[in-house]
Amino acid sequence: MTDDDVYWALIDVANGLISGTMLGGYYAIIAIGLTLTFGVMRLVNLAHGDWLVFSAYLSLVFLSLVPISPLYTLIGVVPVMYGVGYALQRLLLNRVSVQAMEQKGMSTSFGLMSPILVTFGMSIVLAQGLLAGFSSNTQVIRNELSYSAIQLSEDLSVSTLRLTFFCVAVAILVLTALLLRATHVGRAIRAASDDAEIAPLMGMRPARIYATASGISLAIAGVAGVMVGMTRPFQPFDGPQFLLVAFGVVILGGMGSLAGSLVGGILLGVVQILAGTYFGPSAQLVGGYMLILAVLALKPQGLFAR
Amino acid sequence: MPVALAVRNLSKSFGALAVTDNVSFAVNDGEILGVIGPNGAGKTTLFGLLAGNIVPSAGAIEFLGEDVTALPPHERARRGIARTYQVPRPFGHMTVYENLMVAARFGGRLDLDDAGPWVDRVLAMTGMQREAATLAGRLPLLMRKRHELARALAMRPRLLLVDEVAAGLTDEEVNQFIALIQAIRKTGVTVVWIEHVMKTMLTATDRLIALHSGRLLASGAPQDVFASPEVRRVYLGA
Repeated sequence: MTDDDVYWALIDVANGLISGTMLGGYYAIIAIGLTLTFGVMRLVNLAHGDWLVFSAYLSLVFLSLVPISPLYTLIGVVPVMYGVGYALQRLLLNRVSVQAMEQKGMSTSFGLMSPILVTFGMSIVLAQGLLAGFSSNTQVIRNELSYSAIQLSEDLSVSTLRLTFFCVAVAILVLTALLLRATHVGRAIRAASDDAEIAPLMGMRPARIYATASGISLAIAGVAGVMVGMTRPFQPFDGPQFLLVAFGVVILGGMGSLAGSLVGGILLGVVQILAGTYFGPSAQLVGGYMLILAVLALKPQGLFAR
Repeated sequence: MPVALAVRNLSKSFGALAVTDNVSFAVNDGEILGVIGPNGAGKTTLFGLLAGNIVPSAGAIEFLGEDVTALPPHERARRGIARTYQVPRPFGHMTVYENLMVAARFGGRLDLDDAGPWVDRVLAMTGMQREAATLAGRLPLLMRKRHELARALAMRPRLLLVDEVAAGLTDEEVNQFIALIQAIRKTGVTVVWIEHVMKTMLTATDRLIALHSGRLLASGAPQDVFASPEVRRVYLGA
């Protein structure tokens, strides 16, 4: 092996690590909302991916009204999605939650099942609604960032868009962690997630706390949706793909763990990119799923389980 | 003396089983009322009914002159009813300080500026200053019991419902709890206290009620309740 071969082999690995890590940040953002609602109220939201796609369309709607840079549509998308999440939880999901079912004397397994069915239905309604509203045409959020890259060395570069998203992902994780750790609302969310029966005895209103958590979850899904739309073309029925990514990340990182979703996302991203580099594009998915299977076999509760 | 808590004809059945059966009693403001009874007498269910975790089948609960029967647990907590559990149930992933903070902010309705100093005072009163930064889930048993009481106290309650603190503790530790609960009462808090250890109940309470099979068996001064034939029959089988 010549020095040149070694150099290019190292460049391949370095590129894989960099783009895998960047991809991981993007995956983490897709997963945080899911892990948050599960961690706080044991709610598995099967419509998570569809709300993400919904947010991408919402961003398009804002762009058609005001010609601004796509990232600025977050100013509209995030509050709207917070409101959607809050209202959904308050008006619908709190009525079918595992806690509500347990209170009605149903078993826990039945209780866990009912929101799954409801959010599955919500997923279908959302996708069909997007189809009716926007047709099945592929859409994309045009932006300049996706055409530019930052040169790290002669042969190493990183996409500006991916780097931006990675930074946003880390920022969202830090902010969410701070919110949960140091604020009034955050402590209430953690208390209710620790013991939902005791929290009301301390004067907290679970219905409102859960609604807030759902609002935050969908607000983050909103950020993810805009990013997805800026990265790749999307259609009304793309939701389940993102749900799968989110599940993968959450399995790796551990349900309910914020740090786990970043680490899980990066792990998944790096393995996918490296598998793709060495074994061809078709190995990307297989590599990712093999990683997930390995973690399920060795540490089924995830790497960062609470 | 004004009445803090009045319970009228309270009943709760699960199917055909009456766990609380037409129970009526009153607690005066600032009083320590003990609740005794054998296992399955319905003592803990009674606390569930008072705190609002359990919805009664019939009857009424009046707290500080207001009918609270239909109020959900968080509304009762905000009005000043605090409950502890026999097996302590801290928010395990939060520190002792954070546990007390949520209790002070939500149940105690204190704003941020007032909650901090108040929580510090509760920590001092319950001797838990050194544990402030410890995760509540990692506390040893004795400290967990103290924490359970401290968190209830952080809610600035008017009525404190204490469910069995003496079980599993040494005499010395029990005496510390008695002293603590009496100190809490001195600050104007009314206490209803379930306990299995009779000695504790005799010395530490102002008045006793005895429950058996969900029914009120006897009530009155501690010695009188202990001496009553009904209570002796239930306890001694005599």
